[in-house]
Amino acid sequence: MQPDSAAIRTQDLVKRFGNFTAVDGVNLEVRRGELFGLLGPNGAGKTTLVRMLTTLLPPTSGSALVAGHDVARHPKRVRRVIGVIPQAMTSDLDLTGWENVDIYGQFYGVARRERRERALRLLKMVGLSERGKDLVASYSGGMRRRLEIARGLIHAPEVLFLDEPTIGLDPQSRRAVWDLLEQLRRESDITISLTTHYMDEAETLCDRIAIVDRGRIIALGTPSELKSGVKGSDRIELEVKGDVERIIATLRAAPGVHDVKREGLNGRLMLRADDGAHLIPRLIGDVEAIAGHVTSINLQRVSLEDVFIAFTGRSLRDEPARKVSLLVGAGMPQQR
Amino acid sequence: MKLWAIMRRDLLKLMRNPLTLLSTILMPIVYLVIIGNSFQGTLKNLPLAVVAEDRGIYAIRMMEKLQALQAGPKTIRLTYLEDPGEAMRGVRDGVYKAALVIPPDFSKNVAQGRLAELGLFTDNVDQISTDAIEGVLQGAAATLRMKFVTAREPKLKQIVLRPSDLFTTVDYDRSLIPGVIVMSLFMGSLMSGVFNWVMDRFMGVTEGYLVTPLSRWEIACGILASGVTITSVAAILVLFSGLLITRSTIQGGLPALAMLVAIIVMGATGILAMTFALLGRASHPRLVGTFAGFLNVILFFPSGAIYPVESFPPWLRSFSRFNPETHAVSALKSILFKGADFAAVRNDLEFLAVFTALMLMLASISFKRTL
Repeated sequence: MQPDSAAIRTQDLVKRFGNFTAVDGVNLEVRRGELFGLLGPNGAGKTTLVRMLTTLLPPTSGSALVAGHDVARHPKRVRRVIGVIPQAMTSDLDLTGWENVDIYGQFYGVARRERRERALRLLKMVGLSERGKDLVASYSGGMRRRLEIARGLIHAPEVLFLDEPTIGLDPQSRRAVWDLLEQLRRESDITISLTTHYMDEAETLCDRIAIVDRGRIIALGTPSELKSGVKGSDRIELEVKGDVERIIATLRAAPGVHDVKREGLNGRLMLRADDGAHLIPRLIGDVEAIAGHVTSINLQRVSLEDVFIAFTGRSLRDEPARKVSLLVGAGMPQQR
Repeated sequence: MKLWAIMRRDLLKLMRNPLTLLSTILMPIVYLVIIGNSFQGTLKNLPLAVVAEDRGIYAIRMMEKLQALQAGPKTIRLTYLEDPGEAMRGVRDGVYKAALVIPPDFSKNVAQGRLAELGLFTDNVDQISTDAIEGVLQGAAATLRMKFVTAREPKLKQIVLRPSDLFTTVDYDRSLIPGVIVMSLFMGSLMSGVFNWVMDRFMGVTEGYLVTPLSRWEIACGILASGVTITSVAAILVLFSGLLITRSTIQGGLPALAMLVAIIVMGATGILAMTFALLGRASHPRLVGTFAGFLNVILFFPSGAIYPVESFPPWLRSFSRFNPETHAVSALKSILFKGADFAAVRNDLEFLAVFTALMLMLASISFKRTL
């Protein structure tokens, strides 16, 4: 059998909890070696999708292959080739960093000597060589997260799933995790699936991004593809001299410009345009062609957040009501 | 105002957790019923073997007194035997709390005003029952003489009950050792087993486990093995600490120690499996804490660890018969203090084995490899 060219491949994948459809027919293909981002508002179905891909939840219908193995039919095979860093901190506080990594190596049946070599290398990679013999209880949140990344790699997985790995971390720790993931990409051919809320994180790290909303993938592409998919989101601020009304009319007629507004009585103009960086030289030319003069230019490029809002809208997403046990009250862990 | 805000917050939280509220009301009532009945004071139905080697008038009167005690206050439950050896074996094996032997010359000695002795062989490991039996028999012997006091009759003290302890003296502190071991089995099994598991699931740690290739059986057996090891080691340490504190030794040497360890391991396995079967699917550690406290009380106090099972009302005695802790306490007592062999604790061990097998089966059904 030919190995599947995709690291992750889903077809019409659905997950329902009673009447609620958390994942609604997702078709997805993540290439081998890719760092793939899953973006979406709260309750969009990202975690449920990842939980199906990591065999924690059985799909209601459809299929999903991870590293060529069917998650429903061969969950154990899938578990052997994936590393998972869940959103919750799952390292054992009462164990040392080294023990955490080593014990997980045993779970995967990694031989003792190999385990030792890998643990040394991984702890070094995540910058915890010096603290490997300390109890995890003495670690900061960022150290714990880096340790969990090392733990997730102890069995040399083909696909690594990270669910909101930098949530709650300070900027320094976030950067450290980013550096780690970038290093991992440079030095191995591992496929990484990254679920995140942080647009800058997705933009910095991901080769491609899928925006998930209401259980469906509503946009998919590289960060620049996604940005270019949102028309007129670059904002150009121009200060001009000359016949301002005529300049406005000229700019409005220029291809790629969607809107021109005059701010105040001076020659300060706000434009919404596509691909502003390439448009600016032509706009200057157009202004000068009608004896105008551009005195100042400021370009605000579309951010991934703009893209995200453009696709998912501004409305707040309330989680569907969960059943709270009448017996024990609130405080139950979220099951999906 | 601020005080009310704090109160309001706490009251609302309490109202939204009915189990906590319920447990604060219901549990003390249940505890009162269970603990109250476990320390009822009046001992009843203490099994007493009677061997009447004398058929004379005073022996018959003595037997009538015993029957009156059985029918009236029901302190004793009589079993008539012919052979004093069999009666004593029964005491050793825990079938009877004591054996009363009325010697062949009893009536003759009473009639002739000589010293008339009644032999009483007691299971002094259970000092409370022994004291109770001695008390009622002393009374019976005394009233037996009182009725027939005449000028010619010998003095009262000439009928004496001659108690003999079958085992070395077991004071109250020592008698608690089996109970303390069983308590440590319960606490150890709970903390190292189901509480850990439910807490890990609540904290999300289990998610890390479940994405590894570990099978359901590997996880279950791993938890069982670690829990049983930790609990057994703790219980053995409790055993030796108990022996050290009470300055006592194990009757029966190494074979007895091996049997004690076997009982401890089996007890730990059974209780660990039971707590998993009952609480393994609990979604909140609070549930485990509440029910475990309840279980501890309803299993420990009716186990005979502190007060003899014979003092319980019939419903609690029936429950006690199916309580694994009763059998663990009974087996531990027999081996620790009586130097009993396998045959003497066979019934208790058989019960524990069946209970453990049943609980393992139920736990394996209830244990799921899911979030």
